Amino acid sequence: MLEIVFLIPFFTGAAAFFLPDKIGRCLLVLTGAIHLILSVIVWAGRLVPLFPDYFAVTPEGLLSLLVISLLFFLISIYTIAYLKASDIHAEHIFTGSMLLFLSTMTMVTLSDHIMVMWIAIEATTLASAPLIYTHRTAASLEATWKYVLICSVGIAMALLGSVLVTVAMDVGKVDAPISFSAMTEVAKQMDPMWLKAGFVFILVGYGTKMGLAPMHTWLPDAHSEAPSPASALLSGVLLNCAYLGIFKTNKIMHAAGLADFSGPILIVFGLISIMAAATFILKQTEYKRMLAYSSIENMGIIAFGTGIGGLGAYGAMICLIHHSLIKSSLFLTSGNILLGFGSRLIDQTGNLVNRMPKTFVAFFGGFAGISGFPPFGIFIGELLIIMGAFRTGNYVSAGLFILSLCVIFAGFANNIMKISFNTSDAAIRIKEAPSLVWPQYVLLLTSLVLCFWMPDTLYQTIIHAVNTIGGGF
Amino acid sequence: MIHPVDTILSLALLSILFSFGSSRLPGLIKVMAFQGVVVSIVPLFVGHEMSTGSVIFTIVTLTIRGIIIPGCIYLAIKRVAIGREVEPIVGYHASILAGLLLIVGATFASHHIDVPYSSVSALLLPTAIALLGAGMFLLMARRNAIAMVLGYIMMENGIYLVGTSFSMRARHIVEFGILLDVLAGVMIMAVILQNIKQTFDDVDTARLRTLKE
Repeated sequence: MLEIVFLIPFFTGAAAFFLPDKIGRCLLVLTGAIHLILSVIVWAGRLVPLFPDYFAVTPEGLLSLLVISLLFFLISIYTIAYLKASDIHAEHIFTGSMLLFLSTMTMVTLSDHIMVMWIAIEATTLASAPLIYTHRTAASLEATWKYVLICSVGIAMALLGSVLVTVAMDVGKVDAPISFSAMTEVAKQMDPMWLKAGFVFILVGYGTKMGLAPMHTWLPDAHSEAPSPASALLSGVLLNCAYLGIFKTNKIMHAAGLADFSGPILIVFGLISIMAAATFILKQTEYKRMLAYSSIENMGIIAFGTGIGGLGAYGAMICLIHHSLIKSSLFLTSGNILLGFGSRLIDQTGNLVNRMPKTFVAFFGGFAGISGFPPFGIFIGELLIIMGAFRTGNYVSAGLFILSLCVIFAGFANNIMKISFNTSDAAIRIKEAPSLVWPQYVLLLTSLVLCFWMPDTLYQTIIHAVNTIGGGF
Repeated sequence: MIHPVDTILSLALLSILFSFGSSRLPGLIKVMAFQGVVVSIVPLFVGHEMSTGSVIFTIVTLTIRGIIIPGCIYLAIKRVAIGREVEPIVGYHASILAGLLLIVGATFASHHIDVPYSSVSALLLPTAIALLGAGMFLLMARRNAIAMVLGYIMMENGIYLVGTSFSMRARHIVEFGILLDVLAGVMIMAVILQNIKQTFDDVDTARLRTLKE
């Protein structure tokens, strides 16, 4: 029974709303652990869906599921220490929403039906809205409002797109279930015009949620106002979930022989996102917003790579996994800095290397990883994408891509240096408890290990996933 | 002969013009409730065989779209005593003119689109497109946060028309899931609205400007 993977967090999440804070915290970690075990069982292929019309195990879903599960477990351990150190109103709402959020994201990774996918992605918006409003400030309220409204309107576009894809089946007189796997098989018979229209709407819709520019405006606000564990989830895994919707639709496009249409659109959206991030990251005064713009950059890279296809698609998958691991660790670390210095402004922090040495290690390691230093995975991913772009003759876009990456690196490095080495006389408000730093170490270490040694089953799953969108060597 | 569904759809088109012209929130909410009812009964007249399941589903849709969703918003404005204007960026007369142009444009555009079910009703596709466009217009041309939520609901109504009428594949359980998502979304928006009113003492989105680059 595959559905149990998202039903368990759903029920524990619903229960956490009514339980005392202490039990809620235990429930958070416990559910994280159970979820991780179940995900491994799913990976081993031991769980069969009860409703095969709606849910299925796909290679791209498996990858996202495992990432979500691992991240959530580590984040839940961090969350306990974070909750102890910070003062959060209505903690039961926070823990309950975290678990519901996990449940809805898991549902996204397992759903195969095009409408169920939409339902699940919209549900992630709803479950995560209370997380952003946790601090109950005017700014967080504004961020929540923008998040819910922009994402709901955006995702409504994706619903329209999904409907148009089914119209493409009707016009092409195809009789098949409207699940992604069935549609990919009959894609050739579907009406190309309606399919193209559906793809554009789905890309704009889920692209809003994924943070592709110019629909990204909600993202820096939401990611910076949410408490750090929630930001880590939003940035590390929620964006992947939205990407999954685009990925699966792109799969249909490839099967229908319309890759020439979907590829350039993805490339353009990807490049706009990377360039928008480059513009805004240079002048950033808040470190959490800076990380949020870096997420927009990485989503742009992934969309770009997917559009390139071939080597690029494989590179995009690598970037997707490593971005989740590294960015979530960075957001958790930014939580430590916020707890320590009590401010989100870069100017109010400084001398992290001496003040919070353990946090500094995680922060600097994360920075090295995310900005594409070898040997971290983002480096390999970006290199493959650039090689793929040259191979397919996209010289201009590859040039823009490299230029923007350099600008982003400069802006990012400048701010990181300020935080790490500037002088500061602020008093540090917390002690660096072990569980406030080692989840980040584990995340970074996982990313590092995956660069040198990737289990064969993982490699096969990635290859299997990207083969469907014309990826691979 | 005029098909009954065309009569119903023309009412939906009329509700667009009314919503563009209404200056006060309670009036706008009533127009939206009416539109919700009208939109939810359309599938009964379009090509489906009448089964118990579809009748029950229509009743559920009607209750949610026509009563619960507008009711939520209405309660939200009652509880925090918002009874004010919709604060237009584009004036009412200009809005109505834009609405008329939108309907004409939608009719024109739908002639160029080849849809499998155009034989059912000539007004179906124009209405759906017009509702989508009108929802977006409300989102952009009104500063009041509640009017924006109503714009979102109008867009959803348009998509619902496209969905249930053109594509008869989705099962009721799936459609119900979509409806539930929309309902939960509107409820959460209503809660946020109340908080915005309490924090900023207004629901004018011009005040929500602290977070920007």
